[in-house]
Amino acid sequence: MAIRAIILLYLFVILYDVKGQGIRDSVFELPQVHVRAERIFEKESAGMRQTLIDSLTMQQKVNASLSELLSENTSVFIKNHGRGALATASFRGTAPSHTGVSWNGINISSPMTGMVDFALVPVYIMDEMHLKHGTASIADQAGGLGGSISISNRPDWDNTFSTHYTQGIGSYKTYKEYLKVEGGNQEVQLRTRAYHNQSENNYTFLNRAIADVEDGRVTHPVDTNTHADYKNYGLLQEVYLRPGGNHLVSARWWGQWAQRTLPRATSFEGPDNTNLNEQSSIDQRFVTDWTFFTGSGKWLVRSGYSNKSLDYFQKNRVPGVGLLPAVYSESTSHSYLNHAAYTHQVNEFFSLEGSLDVNYYDVDSRDSVSRAGFRVDRIEYSLFFALRHSFRDRLNVNLMVRQNHTDNAWDPIVPYAGFDLKISQRHNLILKGSVARNHHQPSLNDLYWQPGGNPDLLPEKGMAYELGLQHEQAFENLLLRNEITFYRSDVDDWIIWVPGFKGYWEPTNIKRVLSEGVEVHSLLEGKTAGIAWRTSATYALTRAVNYGDPLVWGDNSYGKQLVYIPRHSGNLLIHMAWRGFQVNWQHNSYSERYTTSSNDVSRRDWLYPYHMNNVSLGKAFSIGMMDFSARLKINNLFNESYHSVLYRPMPGRNYMLLLQAGF
Amino acid sequence: MVQTDKNIFKYSRRDFLQYFGPGAKGLLFMVVLHALLAGCMKDNELWKPGDAGQGDATQGVFVVNQGNFMYGNASLSWYDIQSKEVSQDVFFNANGFPLGDVAQSISLRDSLAYVVMNNSGKINVFHKETFEFAGKITGLTSPRHIHFLDDTRAYVTDLYARSIAIVNLQTMEVTGSIAVRNDESDFYQHSTEQMVQFGKFVFVNCWSYDNNVLVIDTETDQWIDTIEVLIQPVSMVLDKHNKLWVLSDGGFAGNPYGYEKPGLMRIDAQSREVEEVYRFPKESQPTMLAINDTADTLYYVNGHVYRHPVASEQAPELFVQSPYDDLASGGFRAIGIDPVSSEVYVSDAIDHVQPGLVYRFLPDASPVDTLRVGIIPGYFGFSD
Repeated sequence: MAIRAIILLYLFVILYDVKGQGIRDSVFELPQVHVRAERIFEKESAGMRQTLIDSLTMQQKVNASLSELLSENTSVFIKNHGRGALATASFRGTAPSHTGVSWNGINISSPMTGMVDFALVPVYIMDEMHLKHGTASIADQAGGLGGSISISNRPDWDNTFSTHYTQGIGSYKTYKEYLKVEGGNQEVQLRTRAYHNQSENNYTFLNRAIADVEDGRVTHPVDTNTHADYKNYGLLQEVYLRPGGNHLVSARWWGQWAQRTLPRATSFEGPDNTNLNEQSSIDQRFVTDWTFFTGSGKWLVRSGYSNKSLDYFQKNRVPGVGLLPAVYSESTSHSYLNHAAYTHQVNEFFSLEGSLDVNYYDVDSRDSVSRAGFRVDRIEYSLFFALRHSFRDRLNVNLMVRQNHTDNAWDPIVPYAGFDLKISQRHNLILKGSVARNHHQPSLNDLYWQPGGNPDLLPEKGMAYELGLQHEQAFENLLLRNEITFYRSDVDDWIIWVPGFKGYWEPTNIKRVLSEGVEVHSLLEGKTAGIAWRTSATYALTRAVNYGDPLVWGDNSYGKQLVYIPRHSGNLLIHMAWRGFQVNWQHNSYSERYTTSSNDVSRRDWLYPYHMNNVSLGKAFSIGMMDFSARLKINNLFNESYHSVLYRPMPGRNYMLLLQAGF
Repeated sequence: MVQTDKNIFKYSRRDFLQYFGPGAKGLLFMVVLHALLAGCMKDNELWKPGDAGQGDATQGVFVVNQGNFMYGNASLSWYDIQSKEVSQDVFFNANGFPLGDVAQSISLRDSLAYVVMNNSGKINVFHKETFEFAGKITGLTSPRHIHFLDDTRAYVTDLYARSIAIVNLQTMEVTGSIAVRNDESDFYQHSTEQMVQFGKFVFVNCWSYDNNVLVIDTETDQWIDTIEVLIQPVSMVLDKHNKLWVLSDGGFAGNPYGYEKPGLMRIDAQSREVEEVYRFPKESQPTMLAINDTADTLYYVNGHVYRHPVASEQAPELFVQSPYDDLASGGFRAIGIDPVSSEVYVSDAIDHVQPGLVYRFLPDASPVDTLRVGIIPGYFGFSD
């Protein structure tokens, strides 16, 4: 690995020198910054608050995971359990299972947990990402009480052949390799992406959870973050066909193998070869689409399959036996996902859409040590209908309704009514609003996990309201975009897992949660004296408050913010590019997070406000047909000691060098 | 470089400045400056020792707050029985570092207190009057309880080690182990829990996917006998008639090891024969058994608190009713009996993610005090 990296570095240096001798100081306008202004006044998205992550941002984060992309660029809060470790999302103060995640239109949330580990989704496999905030997500699926995230791939029909290789070398023995080969013509396009990530993740930290007494003085050791290494390999294959002008056929397969060891508590002082935790997973996803355009209509037929195997074990050395698992949990899930939709443009102002989804899930989970486990399946139908009308380019109305049927019962109907009203033509100022109902089925683990699953759980039911202003204006060499949204979401029968008396956790419907807040997004970009620049900022105020019945007189959780949801969060991005040089500065802040439901804070469990600064510097250039770029990323610029979950110190200043070559 | 939609109107930069005023640049600058200066998180503020809050009184009770798994937020509360004052986080405040992850139990001997830190693989030792750190016993896999044999020797039970550690109390080192492997079982046996001594024998209950009480000979450090009990024995005590009482939770629905009615079992410590079994409703969840100093009255938690004189032939009597309507999602958790006054202390973890409660009762069940402690109060240690 290291040798390969060094060879590449040499290659890079040599080529850079050649370039310095006067070969084509050319074109480099940044790696083609293709900023697509979001169309903000479309009847199909009336009332919906959406975020599009554009190609510039994607490019900057090509080596990152989805968790980093979301936390640094959107108002979605990511609870990160450590570098490379499990990362879950909270959209508008909701639970991780309330964010629907789809890849090319198929749901990739685990049917067992109902959620996605965002640390295991690399940005490299995405071409586009859309976020639908709140109940706008019912356009995609029911259950996204917080919102939905759609990741998609798209072909470049103009490409004939291109290939790019990226090598990343970073602190803590982190290596990243990415290879993309794509080619085709106007009728057929093939794209292949392969990647490999690995890290020893062996940063050092002052371990405050361990103390030694020397001469009456308490000292703390400098420890290495051991048992935290990770690696993963993946392959994405896409095939696109465009037979005739009216058909578009695609097939995509994404496979990934991932393994990580899970660090022990930092206070652990047991024997070295005990409490060893490891998790490995194999994911395969396949989806095929057929889109057929008629004169004023569009048919889409989609079929997908998703398979996940997840193994987790905890091993201890037992004298005379060797390493013996105390927990060995193996689970496999198969999801068969089918979707058929028809959209009809009656005229310029009026469209109709209908769709049917039929999904089947099969889950088998077992612990070979305790022998506890379950095997269940679930069949789910979802019928969707939408009617969109535009009134004289002034008012758009969007009415949607979704009806699900899960196993043997009808779910509550999910209606949505949204509007966009153009208040000012001159300033392109739009008032948006919506009201909707939503519900979320318990995941299969919630219902059947052994031990603890509760088959009597009720679905979570929510009512949501939102109102916002959106504005977009282009000046000479300047683009300004602002958006502010107020929302309120009231969820009944909220599911939480609480530890029971027999030493295991059990889910119950105990809470009513009221989540209210404001989301602000602002973007200003332009070009000054040849420097292309962009500033983008988001801010979210999130009040996610428990109004469940107190369990007992002394229950102080009523009226309090949910755990691990920051009240204030925000981020700021500043990007500048000039003749192939680029600088990127990213700031990210959260206010304190509570770890107790009563919002009690002691020094022992205080998660103080988080402020993080990351910088990257890069240069790109071309020699003949070849493109090259080099980028240095500096994370935790001010080398701060911090933790973002309790007693899990995070790395100090660290670096990543990315070298790319291709044509 | 900026491609925009055609429905967006074009304005000049001058329009922009007029539109937002000249403050726009200044505002941007301020935002940038703030973000730069904001680069200081407050990690160091967490680690200074504070006021442990202990006065002159030495008669009190330590409440061991287990904390959440992998949160490292275990803590120790100190309750002064005379003044009724509670001091929180006494270990952290006295020493400037945390107890660790998942505090399982506490045992006191002479001037020292030993807190067993299950998921930290160690036992923290501190001076019980000053709360000052006195050392630690490390190298334990998943320790649960410590039992003192004499001034130098102790046993430590373990969830995963399949052995009981032998510890030297003077050097605070693990000096040996007693293998308790059951290779004949399909299950991970034996994981060991509480210890009760009768003469030279120590009885050890095995809770996790198990239904056995092991007998250890402390002279030879050998496992010499096994007593079969109800499924998942959680807690044990020895009464004045040398009867061993074992409380079992009966497993859970779908448990591959079995699921039966929970119950309380009386075993003769001498003959190791089972003499009596009291069964509870199948859905009930008994958690902990305790006995008073004169070893003639049992108390146990099964949602509510029950009392049972050891000589009684009657069914156990309700001692204190739980304040919960629905016992499935709440109720009492741990129980401790003051060896001096026979007062009863009962803990309630509420939702397990907020500071819990401890109720104090007189021996006649009349309430004395209620105290707020730390997260998941699960064990008591009395200091007299």
